[in-house]
Amino acid sequence: MSSTDHHHTHSAKAAPDPDHHESGASGSQPAKSSGWGVFLFFMIGFVGSLISGWILFPELLYSKKSQPIDFNHSVHLDLVDDGCNSCHFFEEDGSFTGMPDLSKCVDCHESAQTDDPEEIKFVDEYVTPGIEVPWLNHSKQPDCVFFSHSAHVMGAGMSCESCHGDIGTSEHTRVYEENRLTGYSRDIWGHSISRLGKPEPGDPLPMKMNDCAKCHEEETGHKGACFQCHK
Amino acid sequence: MKEKNDYEHSKRYGMVIDLDKCTGCGSCMIGCYTENNVPFKADETNKLDSINWIQVYKLTNGKPYPETEISYLPMPCMQCDGEGKLGHSPCVSVCPAVATDYDYSTGIVSQIYTRCFGCRYCMAACPYHARKFNWWDPVWPADMEKYLSPDVSPRMRGVVEKCSFCFHRYQLARNKAYYENRQTEELGEDEYQTACAEACPTGAITFGDLNNKSHAVYQLKNSPNAFRLLERLETNPKVYYLSSKKWVRRQGDNYLANEEPGLIKKIDKQHH
Amino acid sequence: MKIDRRNFLTYTTAAVLGGAAGSMLTPAPWKLMDDVSIWTQNWPWTPVPEAGPVTHKQSACTLCPGGCGINVRFVGTRPVKIEGLKDHPVNKGSLCPMGLSGLQYVYGPDRVGSPLKREGKRGEGKWKKITWNEALTAVTDKLASLRKSENPQSLACITGSSRGTLPSLIGRFLTVYGSPNLLRPATVQDANEQALFLTQGKQGTLGFDIENADFILSFGSGILDGWGSPGRMFRLFGTRKSEQRIIQIEPRLSNTAAKASRWIGINPGTEGALALGLAHVIIKESLYNKNFIEKFTFGFNDWTDDAGITHTGFATLVEAYSPEKVSQITGIPKPLIESLAREFAASPRPLAINGRGQGTLPGSIDESLAMQSLNALTGNINQIGGIYIVPEQTYAKWPDLGMDATASKGMQQPRIDGAGSDQFPNTRSLLNRLPGLINSVKGDSPVQALLVVDANPMYTLPDTAATRKAFDKIPFIVSFSSYMDETAAYADYILPDHANLERYQDIPTPAGMAHQTITLATPVIEPLYDTKHTGDALIHIAKSLGGFVEEAFPWDDYETFLADTLQDHWSDLKEKGVIEISPDSKDSAVLSFNTASAKYEFCPAAATRQGSKDSNAPSAYTPAAIEGDEKRFSLLLVPYDSIRLSGEQIANSPFMTKTVEATVLKKQMTLVEINPKTAKTLALKEGSKAVLTTPKGKASVIVHLYEGIMPGLIALPRGLGHTAYSEFLAGKGTNTNDLIGSVEDPASGFDMAWGIRAQLSKA
Repeated sequence: MSSTDHHHTHSAKAAPDPDHHESGASGSQPAKSSGWGVFLFFMIGFVGSLISGWILFPELLYSKKSQPIDFNHSVHLDLVDDGCNSCHFFEEDGSFTGMPDLSKCVDCHESAQTDDPEEIKFVDEYVTPGIEVPWLNHSKQPDCVFFSHSAHVMGAGMSCESCHGDIGTSEHTRVYEENRLTGYSRDIWGHSISRLGKPEPGDPLPMKMNDCAKCHEEETGHKGACFQCHK
Repeated sequence: MKEKNDYEHSKRYGMVIDLDKCTGCGSCMIGCYTENNVPFKADETNKLDSINWIQVYKLTNGKPYPETEISYLPMPCMQCDGEGKLGHSPCVSVCPAVATDYDYSTGIVSQIYTRCFGCRYCMAACPYHARKFNWWDPVWPADMEKYLSPDVSPRMRGVVEKCSFCFHRYQLARNKAYYENRQTEELGEDEYQTACAEACPTGAITFGDLNNKSHAVYQLKNSPNAFRLLERLETNPKVYYLSSKKWVRRQGDNYLANEEPGLIKKIDKQHH
Repeated sequence: MKIDRRNFLTYTTAAVLGGAAGSMLTPAPWKLMDDVSIWTQNWPWTPVPEAGPVTHKQSACTLCPGGCGINVRFVGTRPVKIEGLKDHPVNKGSLCPMGLSGLQYVYGPDRVGSPLKREGKRGEGKWKKITWNEALTAVTDKLASLRKSENPQSLACITGSSRGTLPSLIGRFLTVYGSPNLLRPATVQDANEQALFLTQGKQGTLGFDIENADFILSFGSGILDGWGSPGRMFRLFGTRKSEQRIIQIEPRLSNTAAKASRWIGINPGTEGALALGLAHVIIKESLYNKNFIEKFTFGFNDWTDDAGITHTGFATLVEAYSPEKVSQITGIPKPLIESLAREFAASPRPLAINGRGQGTLPGSIDESLAMQSLNALTGNINQIGGIYIVPEQTYAKWPDLGMDATASKGMQQPRIDGAGSDQFPNTRSLLNRLPGLINSVKGDSPVQALLVVDANPMYTLPDTAATRKAFDKIPFIVSFSSYMDETAAYADYILPDHANLERYQDIPTPAGMAHQTITLATPVIEPLYDTKHTGDALIHIAKSLGGFVEEAFPWDDYETFLADTLQDHWSDLKEKGVIEISPDSKDSAVLSFNTASAKYEFCPAAATRQGSKDSNAPSAYTPAAIEGDEKRFSLLLVPYDSIRLSGEQIANSPFMTKTVEATVLKKQMTLVEINPKTAKTLALKEGSKAVLTTPKGKASVIVHLYEGIMPGLIALPRGLGHTAYSEFLAGKGTNTNDLIGSVEDPASGFDMAWGIRAQLSKA
């Protein structure tokens, strides 16, 4: 804004400009804000935020990553004897191993068994140099969370699928959507950004604290004390 | 919830510390530091900002040489049951964030660091100085982060922390029991022990379920030499002390000259 | 709809309000609130320890000679905690604060991560990282040049201990190289060992069967303050039978005194007189074990030798130590001395224990002899609940040494410290004399090169200023320390050893144990840094020196050497980690003595006793000389040991320092303990800043009034006042060795100082 403009504005305030007033009275478009105009802009903002909140926001919040290797659960599940337990098992102290480390894979994959490019990539990039695969964990919880697989699987007799969905029959890895703010997977919050409605059958269950508490209340009659799930 | 008032039948984990056996060596403190990822600073001589989940205090009978006597007093969190009914621990009742909570299944007072926003009401409410505030972010110099245990979450600046009776060890013991298809309610006495009890080289610390007749603490707490700290406040601590020395037992509370230590215990028993 | 400057703001506001209203109907604000709170709970600088399968590995603690078994908990490949090993015969699961904080030594900021060469002035802290090849070559070249100049005896080596295979390896190296100068600090074990040799004629260490004794008379031994193997001592205290009584005799209410059945204050340094006074009462009242004295001892009564000269017997000697006189010397009331003697003699299994504090200072031979005489009077020699002779560890015989002329000539030179000389024939090492001897020589130092292994003499030797002066005269100092300790910081080269948990180390019977054990510390982790086992470094240097030196070391590495040396035990040790060897309980073995009389000798015929008119005089009481003028220094400064502090070559961990009470250390200053009565006469109050002066030096301290200390004394904790290491240790408090010097025992050369005259004045 130049100094002249500045001056002009100042004088306009001191004495209303007659031209300005006249053009307002001519009725083409009122320079005064109209009720409809306000409503229109309100609606632009309203609808815009609805669109960005429901559609753009989730797109922006999550970055999309793919697993280092496109793992085929289905093929493996057909080959192993003990279902999920064959690779995801309990130690004798009751702790759960989670994702198997390379030593488990090497049993079969010391060299490539097929000409699948993903398997060849796995052998060349990880098995041969002895580097652990940096799998992206859809169920990873913050450090303050204590979760006991044995309490749920052994104690409550729950199946893997009841929380993790039917990942065991998948032929490809899913896109890993990482929350840019927290660094955790979208699965924890649940795919539905509104958390309204139930997940599709076969989808993993959301794993927020409220989800744990809700299930605990239903199944055991109380939410449980803080230390039950925190460390 | 039905278990809320089941004082006699729920588990109440507690500790009996035999002060006659405590040599003041400090092993319990170090056993605790290493178990619970307790941080340290270059200067730890200001004990008000030094983080200890169990701290060994030194008591003296105040008599001149050579009649002087000293006794050591290790103080973890007393895991107060609270006055009258369970769960009314001084700290739990003042926390505005539900960051500290009473677990009715074990009697252990929890502290969730990520929930705590550092108002320190609980520290003011605790009559035992059991709670410590993180004035600084913890730093593990050189390669020391490599020895941290994944069982206990490291704390950040601005939160309160305290002794958890090594609750993670209870969780791990239950993990094992579930895996072995055992009743987790029937954990053996040796399956769940705190790090300080294990580290004490003279065996002065006994840990177990105060309600379980087969646990050593059940009998020990009824010894004529047993006392608790500030019993008159009726915080109902689950940490008991044993001392054959009357002057030590007297220091457990602010007794008047004509009062005998142990008097308050009777009040406590009437209460329940 | 025309938009101009005037209505722009209105419409914008409308749009913002619309947006705000709309967004309330979207998940965005609620989701963001949740995410932001999670974000604030997971700061990237707060570490998240990695999880993994939990396993345990067994090994042994090597931080002190206590030899406790440890159980290391691993998460994945990371060790996360050290706990006591429950079935180890020494500690049975108990550990001290140092052992429990063992991981801080491995991962802490004091480690030396690669070989270093000094760049700036000595102790300036300027270093250049060098390769192992450069480091080993530099040392080899220096050692080769000393041999070339026919001066091999000017190489000296200081080790922390003479026990175990590494010191043997170093001894072998020095012998074949041509230097007799293997030095190490002496402890009460050495004084007791010498007294054992004089009375029983056998080489071995003195073991105390504390497990089975029912009346323990401790002459200032901090049996709960780190004496012997701390793990064992704590376990024994915790599991002792209710009838076991412990009587603690010392001028300060230590933790041991506080836990004892009875604490008796005594004028410092007069413990030997008390022992003889007790013997006086026991003999006078005929309370001693007559069977043992008559059948198995010699020199109890006066005796005449072949030449017809009459010698004083023990009974006659102690006549001079009447309870009245001893009461005057010790400050203990006469009736108490008498009742103590009667109780001791009347107990089925009484046991006298010596070694002040942690027993890290030897004291005089007279003291050791007096304590052993007390045990002999009750016949508790090699008996359950008594003292035992623990034989020295025998190793497999190594290949014979070939020695060239240079080495032979070097080995014929007398030891620089005078140990084993005519003056101190039974003494093996006198490190305490080294600084004084170097400083007294005009011109070149008799030590031209010094290797320091598992030792930190710049901190642990009495009179730090004299030590520094002596080290200044040594042109070439190499430290093999794993940590940047005072000596490493003052060295020319550092060739860092692996730390605990990273290396093999065999641990012979710990001090005070009544039966023989061999423990093997097995490495449980890979070395973190570019370090090398000192055994490997020495074998490498020996091989590089060539000739007979090379031939003497046919082993590829230290592990091969260790396996070869321990032979039959090696596989057992690898599997079990520890071997126990029970003492021979046959009477013939128990009561056989290798002295000239084939009996237990109260009058050790083999002893050459300095300062005594009767060369065969039995144990007497030589009052320890106290350094300092009584008029100028009206008080006595005594050091004290605490299990939360370490005054030895491995310093306290940050965790140990964290446990130190605010009445011991305040910010960077030590608190000295002083009786309130004494403080009053000096116009000092609790918390007053004061200057502590001794003939050796000065220190700024804070006054702490403590009723539990004898008036006239000042007590200063050992283990503070480091000048090296990181900020977790450096500059905290005062090193007792800055203020206290060494006082030589005329009979052995050992340091028998237990304190020094001092003055305390308001700052």
